[in-house]
Amino acid sequence: ASTTKKDISAPPPSALLTARVIENLSEVAYPEGIKSPKVELNANVRDGRFRYDRDFLMQFMHICKEKPPTLPALDVLGIEPVDQASFPMARGGSGRHRNASGA
Amino acid sequence: QEVDMQAQADDIRTVFSHPTSFNVKHPLYSPWTLWFDSPATKGRNLPQTPISSFPQTPVPQTPSAAAAQGWMEDIKRVVSFDSVEEFWGLYNHIVPPSQLPQKANYYLFKEGIIPAWEDEANKNGGKWSIQLPKEKNRSQVDKMWLYTMLAAIGETFDPHLTSGEATEPNTQSLITGVIVSTRPQFYRLSIWTRLAPSGDEDKLRERIETVGRHFKINVLGYPETQKLAGPLATEVEFLSHKDSEKKGKAAKKLVI
Repeated sequence: ASTTKKDISAPPPSALLTARVIENLSEVAYPEGIKSPKVELNANVRDGRFRYDRDFLMQFMHICKEKPPTLPALDVLGIEPVDQASFPMARGGSGRHRNASGA
Repeated sequence: QEVDMQAQADDIRTVFSHPTSFNVKHPLYSPWTLWFDSPATKGRNLPQTPISSFPQTPVPQTPSAAAAQGWMEDIKRVVSFDSVEEFWGLYNHIVPPSQLPQKANYYLFKEGIIPAWEDEANKNGGKWSIQLPKEKNRSQVDKMWLYTMLAAIGETFDPHLTSGEATEPNTQSLITGVIVSTRPQFYRLSIWTRLAPSGDEDKLRERIETVGRHFKINVLGYPETQKLAGPLATEVEFLSHKDSEKKGKAAKKLVI
């Protein structure tokens, strides 16, 4: 019952940049097995400002893997993982690893 | 017209059916910006995040704004996003709190609000926060932070938005941002609010308390009556930014 079609042509660089914003949640039909957002959260919606429950949001976790096109290099910002597994008692930054294993 | 709607429906491809060629995305209630700082970011000049890049928050030249500006030089703007799909793209590429260095902070704030109490949107507000001992919570903190972010971007912290009372056009969400902090001995999670009850504002206090209760029970997963304070641990506590400035003197806390 899947409607997924294999697209032979290369995907566009980022659907995130070209996708349009949903204006009305009721226009969207979700595939079987995917929960719609809780209706009661959006009883008085104005201007497409939707609210979403956690169960709905969690369904995107393993699907939206694409790195945001605008995300800068994280190490430039100082966001670098510390590998806790290898350095459970890491002190003073001695446990820094460029690439966390275990991921 | 029915035909048109059908034609339109046929052309709607969500990420669920078309993971790389979707043509619609789910807009968030508000756009959000993620910020980061740690000792390692201090003095780094790239990329610059000048306070002046936030047109929605004009900065009056007051001493406190100047102080915020100084502090903001060390805090790095990571990225902004305004859809569910973009949030998860970010989530799947960023370092979780359990893997951050020992003194670091993520600040997820609504776009146009800087993560400082001097901001117009924060200055009359306060924060719910909880401190958790690190060793006991290392395996929990990533999920707690994720659920905190999801309640923020899904805009489910403030129940007032759904209740019948919220139909007046100017009802604004109470939430301005959420923070996770790592320290050598503990983690801290905070929810910042636009307003803080002072004195006898019962309605506002109830609304603020509902946010705290939702945080403790639905987001962090604790039973309502569970006592959480202990060595390096606090209850879920609310403090206005004005009272935080007083450093404990005459500070009136709410506790859930």
